[in-house]
Amino acid sequence: MTETLAAQGEDLLHDKTRLAILLFIASEAIFFACLIAAYVRYASASPLGPNAKSVLDPMKTGFYTACLLSSSITIYFAERAQRLRQAGVSRWLAGTMFLGAVFLYGEMQEYRKLLDENVTVSRNLFGSTYYTLTGFHALHVTVGLVLLGTMLVISLRRKMRKPQHSALTCISYYWHFVDAVWVAVFSVVYLWSTQ
Amino acid sequence: MDSYPVFAPHSEYARSIASLSYGVLWTALGIFLLVAGLVTYATYKFKARPEEKTPKPVYGNTKLEIAYTLGFVLILGTISVFSIRAMEASDPPTAREADNLLIVAHQWWWEVRYPGLGIVTANEIHIPIHQDEQLGFRSADVIHDFWVPELGRKMDIIPGIENKSWIAADNAGTYFGACAEYCGQEHAWMRIRVVAQTPGAFAEWEKEQLAVPATPTEGEAGEGAKYFQELSCASCHTIRGTAAEARIGPDLTHVASRETLAAGRLDNTPANLAKWLLEPDLVKPGCHMPNLHLPRQQQDALVAYLETLR
Amino acid sequence: MSEISVLPLPMRELAEFEEKGTILSWLSSCDHKQIGILYLLTAVFFFIVGGCEALFMRIQLAVPNNHFMKPETYDQLFTMHGTTMIFLVIVPSLLGLSMYLVPLMIGARDVAFPRLNALGFWLLLFGGLFLYTSIFFGNAPDMGWFSYAPLSEKPYSSLPGVDFWALGLFAIGIGTVASGINIIVTILTLRAPGMKMKRLPLFAWMTFVNSFLIVFALPALNAALAMLLIDRGLHARFFTPDAGGSPIMWQHFFWSFGHPEVYIMVLPAFGIISEVVPVFSRQPIFGYGFVAASTVAIALLSFAVWAHHMFAVGLGHSMDIFFALGSMLIAVPTGIKVFNWVFTMWHGAIRYTTAMKFATAFLIEFTIGGLSGVIFAVVPMDWQLTDTYVIVAHIHYVLFGGTMFALFAGTYYWWPKMTGRMLSERLGTWHFWTTVIGFNATFFVQHMLGFAGMTRRVWSYPDLPQWGLLNMISTAGAFVLAGSTVFLFWNMLWSKAHGKAAGSNPWEAWTLEWATSSPPPLYNFAQVPPVKGPRPLWDLHHPEQQDRYLNK
Repeated sequence: MTETLAAQGEDLLHDKTRLAILLFIASEAIFFACLIAAYVRYASASPLGPNAKSVLDPMKTGFYTACLLSSSITIYFAERAQRLRQAGVSRWLAGTMFLGAVFLYGEMQEYRKLLDENVTVSRNLFGSTYYTLTGFHALHVTVGLVLLGTMLVISLRRKMRKPQHSALTCISYYWHFVDAVWVAVFSVVYLWSTQ
Repeated sequence: MDSYPVFAPHSEYARSIASLSYGVLWTALGIFLLVAGLVTYATYKFKARPEEKTPKPVYGNTKLEIAYTLGFVLILGTISVFSIRAMEASDPPTAREADNLLIVAHQWWWEVRYPGLGIVTANEIHIPIHQDEQLGFRSADVIHDFWVPELGRKMDIIPGIENKSWIAADNAGTYFGACAEYCGQEHAWMRIRVVAQTPGAFAEWEKEQLAVPATPTEGEAGEGAKYFQELSCASCHTIRGTAAEARIGPDLTHVASRETLAAGRLDNTPANLAKWLLEPDLVKPGCHMPNLHLPRQQQDALVAYLETLR
Repeated sequence: MSEISVLPLPMRELAEFEEKGTILSWLSSCDHKQIGILYLLTAVFFFIVGGCEALFMRIQLAVPNNHFMKPETYDQLFTMHGTTMIFLVIVPSLLGLSMYLVPLMIGARDVAFPRLNALGFWLLLFGGLFLYTSIFFGNAPDMGWFSYAPLSEKPYSSLPGVDFWALGLFAIGIGTVASGINIIVTILTLRAPGMKMKRLPLFAWMTFVNSFLIVFALPALNAALAMLLIDRGLHARFFTPDAGGSPIMWQHFFWSFGHPEVYIMVLPAFGIISEVVPVFSRQPIFGYGFVAASTVAIALLSFAVWAHHMFAVGLGHSMDIFFALGSMLIAVPTGIKVFNWVFTMWHGAIRYTTAMKFATAFLIEFTIGGLSGVIFAVVPMDWQLTDTYVIVAHIHYVLFGGTMFALFAGTYYWWPKMTGRMLSERLGTWHFWTTVIGFNATFFVQHMLGFAGMTRRVWSYPDLPQWGLLNMISTAGAFVLAGSTVFLFWNMLWSKAHGKAAGSNPWEAWTLEWATSSPPPLYNFAQVPPVKGPRPLWDLHHPEQQDRYLNK
């Protein structure tokens, strides 16, 4: 029961919940764009003191990134199962949450290591921009986990009903967005500014 | 037109802006009269008459709309061309190490330094006429803005950035300006005074500013000189020829030669100087000069001393 | 089809849809009409507060060297006046009007997300009240409504006013974005059958485009506020120059929000004018297509002109020229609209109700404000005039002479629909003339003050030639303007007590909100008239002269 892209597009214009979440995502995209712009602007000016190159570990964070990006795949399967009324929604949701939690765990470890090295928000502009950007992202991941947890509880109690217009579809859009933001953040912070 | 300094240019820089302004303002007036005329005409001509039936609907006139769209584009495009030319004329390029004056903006006074001449003063700027002066700006704290409308454009002074601009003066005289970016409580009284002088007069002034005044030892002024060093005055102010070398507040070496006090807040008279010393927090609330609660005798002595610093 | 009556009898007992009038029902309401009115009441309250702030400022500025108040008081007043008028008066007025009218205009029952609508309102009110509690915690914010760094940073603003301002605005911003999303989704998904997008009433269309501006501009403000709060609270370095931070970055972020914000404050006002002028001229809007398209042009361009607020910063001539050209360009679609409104009156049969008087005055006042804006796009003139009273004159001509006059027009136009009673035309005329005289007396001379060299945000000024006289005129005008609002409020009270019953369509207007009772029932429409064009009621009453037959 797949839908053609065109039909999905037209369908979108009648689906208020999906429209709303997409507009919300657009506004959040601008918010993150501003934080990324601040990061880039100040990284280009090469602040004194610790910087991305000296304190970040792209390989290690790359592993946690892979976890987060895999969670996009698991949530796709969760949403698809729910849309097609197949089994496995709870399983895939739990998997998504697990991968998201691993990512946050990795972030926490990274923060702990940096704080041990006295890389704080107030240390220099790298600290200010790095923590602000990754911190707001982690906040959005956390909110996502709460939303996913709620869906998981609903799913476990077998209360999912309608195939369309469902909250899970919208939450999955949000989750994909959070992952996309991380792709941008990872590329800019861990790949570009560590050169 | 001197009440309106934007229309009273006294330098090529200001003149290029003023001439552009006339053209732009006349154009704006023309457009306004056109719109106002059309509205007034429509108001009377198309007022509903009692027996009138519903008029036949008019939905638009694409040709007319395209015409006035293009008309706008043409007018604004023309103005833009003249605007760009005036940008070049009023704000020519500056060179890095070539400042004639270095102006450091503080909350709420102006530190004025002449790198080439070795002069340091405050709030009152002297320049010779017929000479282009490159101004270099620094801020000691927040964003300020240097603006003397008769002599040139305004320029923001941003901490961490060294902006530059040009002024000059065709005629001798005193030109008024002010800080033009809200910088805190006494932004209103961070005024600028530019005194343009003939080359001879400027040379005189230069000599006077470079001279180190003798420190009096006798009489009330001598007492004042001692108090200046002993009380906390010397912890903020410089008076060359003495041990006072701090740069937190204005350089006072030739304070009595200036026309105003406290960046234009008061005319520079002994009575006003006494008033300033007695209660700076009432004269200029919020200013960083503390009220030292000076007893009358110390106050008089200090005034006597400072009045010798011409 | 033409036999369908506009107000059909109810099909069944509708007692269960009876609206309750208790305070609790208002506070817990998710009905777009009640929420719209709550927004408008909030705006009226803060209008009085912000107006008093302005009056006190004008008293201080009436004479040179005045000591009516201390500079720190003045600084708090001008900061709060700007913040209040923008975020707590104009934004809620326009949002309130939009929330009230858009569902009615598109023939819907409510907005797409009624509870989100309520959330948006309460966030705005909360943000505003939070902002004002700063008075009890040291001081109200005093760094100016655009809060330039580093003045807004801890070393120079150690009291918590800035934090209250930032947090209050954060809440307001989130609420506003929620409302913007709500409007977009409502218009896209809940239009009555037959109402294609190109048949939207222009108020709805402009509100629609405006909502995209809200969704894309407010986040930039929130990002800037977040960075400022982190600077102040956690000693970060974003905007303090000592560790390489850039005060100019604050300006870039703020004006990336701030410039679209001014269009957010003006597009719905254009929408009001686009409804009022045609109805009272008895002509359809001249050039619906151009007016609608120019709105989109303005919205797109508004994101590309922000640095015209920064011409004096020294960004370099190339940057200045780029933004100047963009600013000139954005004047074109705005100017087109003015001509389209004027030509709407052409060959009309104009009824000069108070609403039409304000709409006509809008055309003149907004032209002055718009022209002074174009002057600032001329970079060298900006180099003389920015940060002077010419700016103060400009902003008040566009926001008061523009938006506020449009809001007054909208008030007199839609009050009968919202309350079921007419306002007095006699009191309205008094309101109108005292407003026009007071407004122009207050603000026209401020152009002259700017040319005379008076900078803005000064708590006092020296006795330079003409400054005292011009300021005194401006202060006198401000009191007349303040007095003019008394006529408006008196009119509203009079209307509640003695106003004539309005009926569903007292103005013989054409859009769907006039096809239901005044005030509308909770469910808005028992039956929505057929929609075949932008003026459904015109088509209904003039079947031989329907818009689609005549509008080739």
